[in-house]
Amino acid sequence: MGNMIKTIDVTDSLTNLKDVCDLENGRISGKIFYDDAIYEQELEKVFARCWLFVAHESQIPKTGDYITTTMGEDEVIVIRQKSGGIKVFLNACPHRGNKVCFAESGSTRGFICNYHGWSFNVEGNLIGQHESGVYEDSNFDKSQWGLKEVAQVDSYKGLVFATFDPEAPSLKEYLGPITWYMDALFDNQEGGTEFVGGCIRSTYECNWKIAAENFVGDILHAGWTHDSAARAMLGGSVAKVSDFEESYAVNWNGHGYEFALDTVGNVAVLGESALNKYLHTIKPSVAERLGDFRSNMIGSVSSCTIFPNFSFLPGQNTVRVWQPRGPNKMELFTWVVVNKSAPEDVKEKWRKGAMMTFSPTGVFEMDDGENWEYCTKTARGRVTAQQDLFVGLGMDTLLTDTSLPANVYEGQLNEANSRAFYQYWYDMLNSRSWNEVPNRNVGKQEAE
Amino acid sequence: MTALYDELRPVSVEQHYRVSHFLNYEYRLLDDERFDDWLGLMHEEIHYWMPGIENRRRENLLEHGFYATDHMAFFDDRLRDLGRRVARFQQPSAWAENPATRNVHQLSNVEVYYGENDGEYIVYSTFQSVRSRGLDEEYVIYGRREDLIVQDGDSFKIKKRLILIPNATLTCKNINTFL
Amino acid sequence: MDKVFLCKVSDLAENQVKKIENSNYGDIAVYNLGGHFYATADLCTHATASLAEGDIEDDLITCPVHWGQFHIPTGKAQGFPCEIDLKTFQVEIEGDDVFALIEADPALIAKG
Repeated sequence: MGNMIKTIDVTDSLTNLKDVCDLENGRISGKIFYDDAIYEQELEKVFARCWLFVAHESQIPKTGDYITTTMGEDEVIVIRQKSGGIKVFLNACPHRGNKVCFAESGSTRGFICNYHGWSFNVEGNLIGQHESGVYEDSNFDKSQWGLKEVAQVDSYKGLVFATFDPEAPSLKEYLGPITWYMDALFDNQEGGTEFVGGCIRSTYECNWKIAAENFVGDILHAGWTHDSAARAMLGGSVAKVSDFEESYAVNWNGHGYEFALDTVGNVAVLGESALNKYLHTIKPSVAERLGDFRSNMIGSVSSCTIFPNFSFLPGQNTVRVWQPRGPNKMELFTWVVVNKSAPEDVKEKWRKGAMMTFSPTGVFEMDDGENWEYCTKTARGRVTAQQDLFVGLGMDTLLTDTSLPANVYEGQLNEANSRAFYQYWYDMLNSRSWNEVPNRNVGKQEAE
Repeated sequence: MTALYDELRPVSVEQHYRVSHFLNYEYRLLDDERFDDWLGLMHEEIHYWMPGIENRRRENLLEHGFYATDHMAFFDDRLRDLGRRVARFQQPSAWAENPATRNVHQLSNVEVYYGENDGEYIVYSTFQSVRSRGLDEEYVIYGRREDLIVQDGDSFKIKKRLILIPNATLTCKNINTFL
Repeated sequence: MDKVFLCKVSDLAENQVKKIENSNYGDIAVYNLGGHFYATADLCTHATASLAEGDIEDDLITCPVHWGQFHIPTGKAQGFPCEIDLKTFQVEIEGDDVFALIEADPALIAKG
């Protein structure tokens, strides 16, 4: 098709990844946070192949509504079609590659490149150029030169994902049974969710994986890193996670969700009793909709990352993409998600509360930032980068006798999800195609 | 608050001096980590607002151009919220604050006008905040401010502050100070 | 003067525009602005584009390709990238039929 992207060349995998990533023995090395060659492989084998989060449906409700974002380091436009669908294009004119859309969001009837006046409609078709007569005299075929469309676009409960790879499995297959857990935040009420307007963007001097891993299964750090924030917001320390009788770390294809069943442990840190009250009020209807188990998750102590770089915290309702900008730099995009059906004052409290806790000025985030940057920076040392880093907590906590879906591990104070995240990363980097990616999932596809 | 031009009435030289002096003093308190004293300068109805800046086309502007009231923000605080931030700074377990960040806050382009009510002043200014952490971290944030300052005895209180940075993408990982 | 049939009055609802193909004089755009009918060349004077695929905003037609505008009744170009005025035609209504009255000289038709 004239307007589909060309898939990129596949290069040989690095030969020494086992030295820096050996999850069977519960270790990685800091080199994975700093190395240029590894980063280049990630751009090719992770970001050009996996499903990446690009937008929430609520951001682009009407035909011509768009947002711009990046998939890896590729700039893209995400735009609502007249048909009701969504298209994702490379934000680069097919003439000389000039950026075509300079705004981060808006509403338009099309895009006109500033360089030679190539004009594209909402469907991405090239509909004209400045000095069109010259093109006509050259037998130019407009239909071959529209904006380049990415290979696949799909959405799950309002979350829009896209991939550059036509061979990638469907979004449904890629997410697997992690969706069962995601519903606790993204489908706990009729009507689903929406994003609060805007997006906070900030820059970090750290490797994207450190942050993604933190959200995939590291509740362990909360009690130590975030003591100051908890005292500031709650007047006391972080909930003692080890006291929870029942908690889990579940993962699938590198995605991970760790959670307790205390219903409001996360939302409580926003320090707004109205939000705790809201969740308690809707809990019975959530139990009807999703069952008792998941009704305990709606704002509980929990976190999730969808491989590679999309994360969220239920309860605080903060949603993130950790955009790679080099082996030791990332851009963070931060949104807040709320139930569409929540009362306006509840939505407002979430908007403010989430920013107060998890944003560049967030009292929780501030202590994370330094941790993540210095995990990256120490790897600048040639010797330091090759030392073993321990990622072996909870090696034998796999639950084989459970009705819960996905790969289930007992206890959220666990590094099982971190291991699963890095294992999938390792597998992607070692595979020349999706066919070669091993399936290490052992759990159930469906809840029982 | 919107930028007004024709309707503004500038204050006297002496009053301008008093307000500028107050704002410079505020900044020195922040440089010295005297957060409780700084909080004491806030009016009890303070609205301390630093909206997220959204890069939009001219034909597609938001409520206030590059920002909107109910969109994402860096600060959108009342007194209680500012107090909670200060509470974190003062925790011994605020690991990222030890060693301390060294701050230099700078203020300029101060314009002081009479507000709508007696004892109220509309103040425009520009600022630059420099922070250095560790051995070699340096972050600079600059922008414009619109304040509503009210007379409080011999001094003033800050009732409203709108902070507008030019950046749609913050060039640093956090803002562990006030602006 | 050539009397060219464009369309039926009932064919064109208010604030609609339609392209009428014509190999002698170039395609013609016919407009219904609040019950009044107008006709202009369909080809934009800036680049290859059919004005009939554009949007009517009050009494202006917006070209769908580079969003330049023309004043429909006079054909006046409203600014970059449209600098050359659009050719307009006198319109005559006979019963339910809409006609354009066109000078027989094809050289007068604006070229894109």
